[in-house]
Amino acid sequence: MKLLLPNSISSAQDIAGIILEIKAYNRWFSHQAILKRTAPKHTTEAPQLSQAATELLRAWSAKQTLTQARLDELSEALQQFIKSAKVVTITLAAPPTGDVKQTLVAWCRSNISPQILVSFQFNQTLLGGMVVRYGSRIFDWSFRRQILASRDTFSEVLRRV
Amino acid sequence: MTDSLFLQIFLILNVFIIGVLVTIAARHAYAHFRPAPTAEPEKPHPARPTYQAVQLSPEVKERLLKAAESNFQAVLNRTTAELQRNLNSTANQLNLQLKKIGTNVVNNETTRYQVMLEDLRLQAETAIRSSQSEIGSHETELKAKLDEKMAAEEQRLLQQIDTKLGDAVASFLLETLQHNVDLGAQSAYLTATLEQHKADFTREVGHEAPTAK
Repeated sequence: MKLLLPNSISSAQDIAGIILEIKAYNRWFSHQAILKRTAPKHTTEAPQLSQAATELLRAWSAKQTLTQARLDELSEALQQFIKSAKVVTITLAAPPTGDVKQTLVAWCRSNISPQILVSFQFNQTLLGGMVVRYGSRIFDWSFRRQILASRDTFSEVLRRV
Repeated sequence: MTDSLFLQIFLILNVFIIGVLVTIAARHAYAHFRPAPTAEPEKPHPARPTYQAVQLSPEVKERLLKAAESNFQAVLNRTTAELQRNLNSTANQLNLQLKKIGTNVVNNETTRYQVMLEDLRLQAETAIRSSQSEIGSHETELKAKLDEKMAAEEQRLLQQIDTKLGDAVASFLLETLQHNVDLGAQSAYLTATLEQHKADFTREVGHEAPTAK
């Protein structure tokens, strides 16, 4: 079964964080199972999970009941996902907001591949647009490049004004 | 050259004639003023008839002497006059001849000089025309080169201005806009850009498969 990540989880770093959260949750889950057998009245509070982790757990437990083994399986699946997923790096002119990130990740997963990771960087000198790097290939669709490429045509534009 | 030779011969001839006449006149004058001493009485020639010496009276002698003197004077005067006339005539002829020759010489020289001048004028004209033509062609060539250089320089300056202007505007935009980036407003643009290059992008991803480490 292929793991489908929510768009809020975009990069390998995000997945690494999610894995840590799931491992912590798994420890708590195991501890909670032991307590349920030994001292049913005594309960401990569940660890705080991020929204992305919550979404992922909800999706993961939708078909099968969540068990310790399933959580281990999820952690393993996430590790495998990091190893096998295609990685695209998008550099923007400013630190991307969550909405922008999710929009771009959604586009990549729906148009390129569902098993893709998108890592974000920012560079102010781009002015706008983006630079997409995939492996050794770089697509420069930034404003800076467009302006610099069009500076020779500026005089023609100026004459037409 | 021929005229000059003729003139020289003519002058030498005249000098010879004048010399002869002067000699004759000198002999007559010498004979008149210094009569030759009485020669020895000639021996009677057997072939000639003998003349008997006549005793003339002093009056007759005087009369004869005067008559001879007047006759000699008349002859001398006539000869002098004739010589004078001949000299005048010769001088006139010489003058006329000289004038004629001089005129001819002057005419010839003038003609030769005019021809020479005409030749020189033609040569000068040809040289001037050639120089003018050469100067004209050189001027045209220089003008063409100048125009070409001016056009190239103008083009270079225009290109330089365009480049500087483009650089200035690009620098201005880069400097001004990099502080005013609004990604939220660019969200649609980013998606549209991805859509626009979707084919290239998907093809590239299909070829390689980089994975996270």
